[in-house]
Amino acid sequence: MREKIFEAKDVVIKFNLRGKTLTAIRGASIDLYQGETLAIVGESGSGKSVFTKSFIGMLDKNGWVESGSMVMDGVDFSQYSTEKEWLQVRGKKIAMVFQDPMTSLNPVKTVGEQIREVITWHFGTDKEKAKQEAIELLRQVGIPDPELRYKQYPHQFSGGMRQRVVIATAIACRPRILICDEPTTALDVTVQAQILALIKRLQKELDMSVIYITHDLGVVANVADRVAVMYAGQIVEHGLANEIFKDARHPYTKALLQSLPQLGVRGHDLRSIKGSPPNLYKEIVGDAFAPRNPDAMKIDYLYEPPFFKVTDTHYAKTWLLCDKAAEYNRELELKNAVRSKEQPAPPIDFSNAEKLVQVKDLTVKFKLGRGEFKAVKNVTFDIHRGETLSLVGESGSGKTTIGKAILKICHSSGGEILYKGKPITGKLSNHEMTAFRKSAQMIFQDPMASLNERAKVEYIISEGLYNFHLFKHDSERKNKVAEAMRSVGLLPEYVTRFPHEFSGGQRQRIGIARALVVEPEFIVADEPISALDVSIRAQVINLLNQLKREKGFTYLFIAHDLSVVRFISDRIAVMYKGQMVELAESEELFAHPLHPYTNALLQAAPQPDPDVERDKQVVVYDPSIHDYSTDQPFWAEVLPGHFIWANNAELERYREQIQ
Amino acid sequence: MGRYLLSKLGQAIVTIILVMLVVFTLLRFMPTAGYFTKEQWKDMTDTEKTAYLRNMGVLEPMPVQLKNFVVNLFHGDLGRSITLYPNSPINGILAEKIPYSLLLNIISWFISAAIGLPLGVAMARSKGGLPDKLGTVYVVIIRAVPSIIIHFFIQVFFSKWFGLPMLFYMEDPISWILPTISMSIGSIAGYGVWLRRYIVDEENKEYIKFARVKGLPQKYIMWRHVFRNAIVPIAINIPSDFLMMLSGSLVIESMYSIPGTGGLLIKSIKAMDNPMVQVLVLVYGALSVFGVFLGDILVSFVDPRIKLVDSND
Amino acid sequence: MDTNKTPELDQLPQDLFTQAEFHEEQLEDTGFSNYSYWRSTIRTFFKSHTVKIIVALVALMAAYTIIYPMVTDLDPYTVSLSARDWNQPPSAEHLFGTDGVGRDIWARVWFGTRTSLLLSIAVAVFQVGLGVIIGALWGFYRKLDTVMFAIYNTLTNVPSTIYLVLIAYIMKPSIFTIIIALVATGWISEARWFRSRILALREVDYNIASICLKTPTRRIITKNVIPHLVSLIIMDAALTIPSSIGSEVFLSYIGVGLPADICTLGNLVNQGRSAFLVYPFQMICPTLILCFITVSFYIIGNKFADASDPKNHL
Repeated sequence: MREKIFEAKDVVIKFNLRGKTLTAIRGASIDLYQGETLAIVGESGSGKSVFTKSFIGMLDKNGWVESGSMVMDGVDFSQYSTEKEWLQVRGKKIAMVFQDPMTSLNPVKTVGEQIREVITWHFGTDKEKAKQEAIELLRQVGIPDPELRYKQYPHQFSGGMRQRVVIATAIACRPRILICDEPTTALDVTVQAQILALIKRLQKELDMSVIYITHDLGVVANVADRVAVMYAGQIVEHGLANEIFKDARHPYTKALLQSLPQLGVRGHDLRSIKGSPPNLYKEIVGDAFAPRNPDAMKIDYLYEPPFFKVTDTHYAKTWLLCDKAAEYNRELELKNAVRSKEQPAPPIDFSNAEKLVQVKDLTVKFKLGRGEFKAVKNVTFDIHRGETLSLVGESGSGKTTIGKAILKICHSSGGEILYKGKPITGKLSNHEMTAFRKSAQMIFQDPMASLNERAKVEYIISEGLYNFHLFKHDSERKNKVAEAMRSVGLLPEYVTRFPHEFSGGQRQRIGIARALVVEPEFIVADEPISALDVSIRAQVINLLNQLKREKGFTYLFIAHDLSVVRFISDRIAVMYKGQMVELAESEELFAHPLHPYTNALLQAAPQPDPDVERDKQVVVYDPSIHDYSTDQPFWAEVLPGHFIWANNAELERYREQIQ
Repeated sequence: MGRYLLSKLGQAIVTIILVMLVVFTLLRFMPTAGYFTKEQWKDMTDTEKTAYLRNMGVLEPMPVQLKNFVVNLFHGDLGRSITLYPNSPINGILAEKIPYSLLLNIISWFISAAIGLPLGVAMARSKGGLPDKLGTVYVVIIRAVPSIIIHFFIQVFFSKWFGLPMLFYMEDPISWILPTISMSIGSIAGYGVWLRRYIVDEENKEYIKFARVKGLPQKYIMWRHVFRNAIVPIAINIPSDFLMMLSGSLVIESMYSIPGTGGLLIKSIKAMDNPMVQVLVLVYGALSVFGVFLGDILVSFVDPRIKLVDSND
Repeated sequence: MDTNKTPELDQLPQDLFTQAEFHEEQLEDTGFSNYSYWRSTIRTFFKSHTVKIIVALVALMAAYTIIYPMVTDLDPYTVSLSARDWNQPPSAEHLFGTDGVGRDIWARVWFGTRTSLLLSIAVAVFQVGLGVIIGALWGFYRKLDTVMFAIYNTLTNVPSTIYLVLIAYIMKPSIFTIIIALVATGWISEARWFRSRILALREVDYNIASICLKTPTRRIITKNVIPHLVSLIIMDAALTIPSSIGSEVFLSYIGVGLPADICTLGNLVNQGRSAFLVYPFQMICPTLILCFITVSFYIIGNKFADASDPKNHL
């Protein structure tokens, strides 16, 4: 093992909020070694961000380090009290990269200036020389044309490029530790892969240690040498990446890994973690995860477990590792052996089912300043009754616009949409519109924005019942609301509460209840899990699948991550800049991805397996490889049910590729 | 950039035309007494009055009147005053008065900026502390108490306590002190309170946190990032503040007997001088619109993002 | 954690290492918080002692202005023919003294306060009401943009005092003139402000959900949009009061306000001003009351704005 360069010990951090004290970090310890990448994984509220922010004195004003130490080079930072002292640390010893590159840079200063000022300030370098160094840094982080880009403003850069600038700024003073706080969460999947590769390269070149904060286990598998898992303000398990992914010991880590949709078995429920993380205002007794763990032992409710050693590098804070739990472990193994025999259900062929939605040559244009912007370009596909069709693409690919156009929330500018065989693109009569609205519903991405904060859950769920006159007596309405609540796994008594009294996952389920209470046939689910915590996602996916089985819903599922939708989709369509580039049955698409963009997307999506991730090459999709100057592309069926956007020459090549 | 300015210029022209239409229409509802001197009003018979009005072109249909007015305007003829300065060309009256207003405006604008901006910075930096509280008390008083009352007390008490002249004399610069104080106190409060708010907003931005993480010292961040950005929304208002003072100092000019353009409107109204009121309102309106346009230009220099924005929001 | 010190490992009883009961139902109750927007807003609002005192005083004063004219036998318009009653300093009989024609200033102040408060409340109601309604239409119907922006530029690029003076000059002096003049110059900024709020609210997912459920636009506005604006409306109305009172003083000063024989704070202040050098109390008394009202409402409006921002709900 290499030299230890930083050690945080028994750190306790508290916050003052609404007159109450919240213990955000309940005694967390971590070591960092020279040149390694440590990933800290946790859900929102686990304290991963707060913990690492305290290393450079960036806690919010209402927070403080109550006890513990943070030692680097023999100096204990936890004793620092003034901003001036922290200046010794920030930038030079420890640097940090934030989540959102769109807000990390000052919009009215050139990016060059923002890098140069760090160099000038820390080293007293004269302006001209600092400028040269800044340009060199821009080149180092892979920004083409750095001399020109030096003089440009942040708004002239794309998100990925901005994050490169932010990284260049962070490494300008050759820090020994770089903290990356979810640096790719706000970026597209393919850009994420590039940024991850960049950070890895820089780490080697500069021999830095990197602390990576993320909730995405795929990213962890890609970058981490070592992993620490945080839950409710504590580190519950830490070890080498392989040890955590292949031999997790803490029930929370295990449950987290098993709940990933990437590991789901088609046709079966995902292992989900029930409930939500504990309230940190209250004192927590015992193992914080116990109330959510169906296999918890009695002792978990009584005493907080110490760290038990698994190997020299792997420790876990769970009573299961105590010698006395040996027998209980055997019982658990027997139970799990039964569970793991699930066989994937064979894919169902929907091609003969009724075509519920037919989209023909759909084009959607938006006004943009004086010009026009084509969000969706000539897209054609069908959705069969009972299937789940996923639309996958990056931000700006037009996937959400298609969903909204089908639901008549935004106007389509060309082409035709048929619903149950009838065109809905034009103006509908009031009667037709009512029937359509009742039959097609939407589920939203952000559970915080999708419920009206000022209305009670009762009103929110009843909204459709009122509009479509779906009840004779008020008691009937109440029954329907209660039934809807139950079917999404919430107690009917909660209907008198306001949305802010629920957690994110619960709010998402209320949103689902609002849609299902009017008994729709077709649901557009717009990234319904991407804003949720990892442990909550499985609950929502299971619920959607269960409703599909029981009520025969048809889904248009919109997502940005291919690997997530594999488990739930019958067919998948890939979107790129308003164009549908490929559409095939789920397994077929993964077996024979033809379009180069599909390949890039598949390659970029991080898998929660360090062995797969470690040697992965970043594939960059370059649209200029298509030569469409003479040979025009079209929407072609390359195999039965497998469609692709290609010209004749490409089609020829793809056909050969399959054989 | 060019396109941005062009669209803003177009917007300014449209606005001036609309202001002209609105004012012109409104003024057709004015009491017709405003077209006569007192003697005429008393001595003339009704038929004489009608003939007089017809002769002035006031009884023509609206569009014709408007056309005549605009044509005269393009010939540089603003018409003549009737009751206030009987039969003098308004051009000449304005030319005589503008220098006074301009002088006081320039002085008090510099004073407002020189005191108001540091006040805003001081308030923001000591958020919740003593300077902030004192500044807030000042701002509350200035903004909540009707300005006439404040100006009146300044005039009465400051002249008594400091032995300063109560009225304005061009030859005696000491007498400029009280009017400039009166004219500045409002905008000092304005600059102070807005700058404070913008600074506090900026300080909570993510990129300020990132600047701290970079290891830059607080003072440097304050001036090079926070203040630099907070001043942008202030800048947009500077030219129009400046030009609006020309017309906005209505009360102050009449209080201190400053022979400037601000007091002129009040006098014209009191004297019921219709052509004067009409021209003055239009001139002030045009100046303000021009000020807004200058603000748009200024902001495009301090904010690089502006080149992309071309809508109204 | 100290209270529940873990015993030595070998002392832990073996039977603790068996399955515990699992309460699935309880798990769904963890998200509960007792935060309520309005309760927190009111609590934050009344946290400051200044606010408590000001609100109490304003309430008392409002009650007094309502009750006083009903019970008093002093007539604010009674002119005394005897010169002895003119320009009396404050005394037990005349709390604020009398003016140049022997009218009781105390009575005049409270009648004036009543007029001025009614006037400014009327302005607040009409101005904010018009602003909300037009702002809502403007926000919901994009087609209005061109027209509304033209109106907006025309009205705001020129100092509002000029329009105010112009309207007051053209129309006959009366309470309605003043109300119309003030509302006519003030509504557009309110409308613009509410438009931007509504634009932000309009695109929110829960409104799209309501559209999918075919909720009528009217109910979307009343149920989904307006409730989020209530605190802004209250704040705006509170801040309109001091500015309308100020404008009334301004208009009476330049001679286009209410007729001089009507009691309003603006007229009282202006009448007192001319006698200030000789009989200062004639101006100071009404001014104090007027300033108390404007400053109080200004502070209430601003403090309420702070309190209604969830970020300040600590």
